[in-house]
Amino acid sequence: MDTEQAMTLKTPWNAPSIPPIVYWALGVVLAWTALAHFYRESMMILWQWVPHLASGLRMNVLFSVLAIAIGTLLGAVVGALELSRSRRISLPAQWYVQFFRNAPILVLIFFATYVFPFEIRIGTMYLSFPDWIKATLGLALPAGAHIAEIFRGAILSITSAQWEAAASLGFSRSQTLRWVILPQCVKRVLPPWMNLYAMITMSTTLASLVGVRELLESAKNASNTVNRTDFTVLIYLAVLTLFFLYCYPITRFTARLERKYVFH
Amino acid sequence: MPESLLTEFIGAAKSVGLNYGFLASVSERTSWLRGVVVTIELSVLSILCSLIVGTVIASLLTSGRPWLARPARAFVEVLRNTPTLVQIYCAFFVCHMLVNQSVGAQNNPMSAYAWVVIVFSIHFGAYHAEALRAGIEAVPKAMRESAISLGFSRRELLVFVELPLAFRFALPSLVNNLADLVKATSLGSAIAVGELTYASLMIWIERDNVLEMMILILLVYGALTLSVSRLGFLLEKRLRMPGYGH
Repeated sequence: MDTEQAMTLKTPWNAPSIPPIVYWALGVVLAWTALAHFYRESMMILWQWVPHLASGLRMNVLFSVLAIAIGTLLGAVVGALELSRSRRISLPAQWYVQFFRNAPILVLIFFATYVFPFEIRIGTMYLSFPDWIKATLGLALPAGAHIAEIFRGAILSITSAQWEAAASLGFSRSQTLRWVILPQCVKRVLPPWMNLYAMITMSTTLASLVGVRELLESAKNASNTVNRTDFTVLIYLAVLTLFFLYCYPITRFTARLERKYVFH
Repeated sequence: MPESLLTEFIGAAKSVGLNYGFLASVSERTSWLRGVVVTIELSVLSILCSLIVGTVIASLLTSGRPWLARPARAFVEVLRNTPTLVQIYCAFFVCHMLVNQSVGAQNNPMSAYAWVVIVFSIHFGAYHAEALRAGIEAVPKAMRESAISLGFSRRELLVFVELPLAFRFALPSLVNNLADLVKATSLGSAIAVGELTYASLMIWIERDNVLEMMILILLVYGALTLSVSRLGFLLEKRLRMPGYGH
């Protein structure tokens, strides 16, 4: 009996299948109800800080969406360049990817914040370049490198028969890429792209280290202002919970997509 | 490094507009080199601990006993879906404070350094666990059946059959995680652990030579991640078993 159990790693479960996300939602609600019960006073203070935290969280969301948008555009271009037949084009693209995938994101954010100018002159106009935009660029550059790799992998995963068939139908290389290969890539790109988005979202907290007022920075402010032990515990748990609630559904959905597309 | 070579380098860097003057000062140079050493120390220590944690969690995940596997799964999901920096803050600002309060600040055996090692070990341990779990599940059924028919107990099956194979299957993603770990050590600077990023930060605050320090930092991290992936590659080649893996 014992060994039999060991052999079937995934036991077919006969109970009605409740998606794990429901367990998690329940667990989070229960845990916070318990916390509210034990730390009633601090919970009231936390409630007053909710608008402050919400404005921080809005910053994280804005950040991550901007960074992934810029990164996707960048990655699509670099990924295509990487596959170019001319080495003069593909080599710099590969260097870009190598460099930005091997640099710590925190260092890149420091780099963007301290090295980029704080304003750019376009003709006679001065365009200010606030810290949070610089931090976004610091996130977008490595995101672009990761996305380039994702695109490249997806394009290479399409069988060469597709290229040959398209060529025999008179498609040029770029036409084949655009009309035949890329549409098939979307499906393969989506899961890793979403994983990357979750990663970028989690990296947005690093911007707090260059003084951007995002969620973690707001929490730190609040904890220093209130200066109570149980409040500090609560507020950092709240930050942890918020990030979990934002990122976990994304990873679940990604895992589901991966399972769905695995046989194609 | 001979002093004359160093001055020559500083002069050459100056001629192209890079200020590496800090290398001429012995105290600054040693404090920066100390940062490099701390980064390497931190990486090696966290790599070892994270592999142990990862193996333990992976064994729990594949134990087939819900009361072990479920909490392990929950632990992994929480660690993988929350930012590393938030985990470091939770450890240092929450756990450290609670320990301080219970035993008194002078008696607290923990330091920022220790907390960073703990957080990295469990954070990357969770990532390793996922890779190893996939590896354990990829062990051929016939392998497991023959081990059972030879009278292996469940623990023996895990230790002598499943884990060695899973380790080989999972090696590429483990090495990937370890390279990420080396890069993540830069987060230690957030709670003033004197590693490479922090040491460089101290220098560029003094000398206002951000770009120059950035180049150095990126070179060091580049060299470290490269050596991790090289070592991983060598290990992969050494451990390769005919008939298994690619």
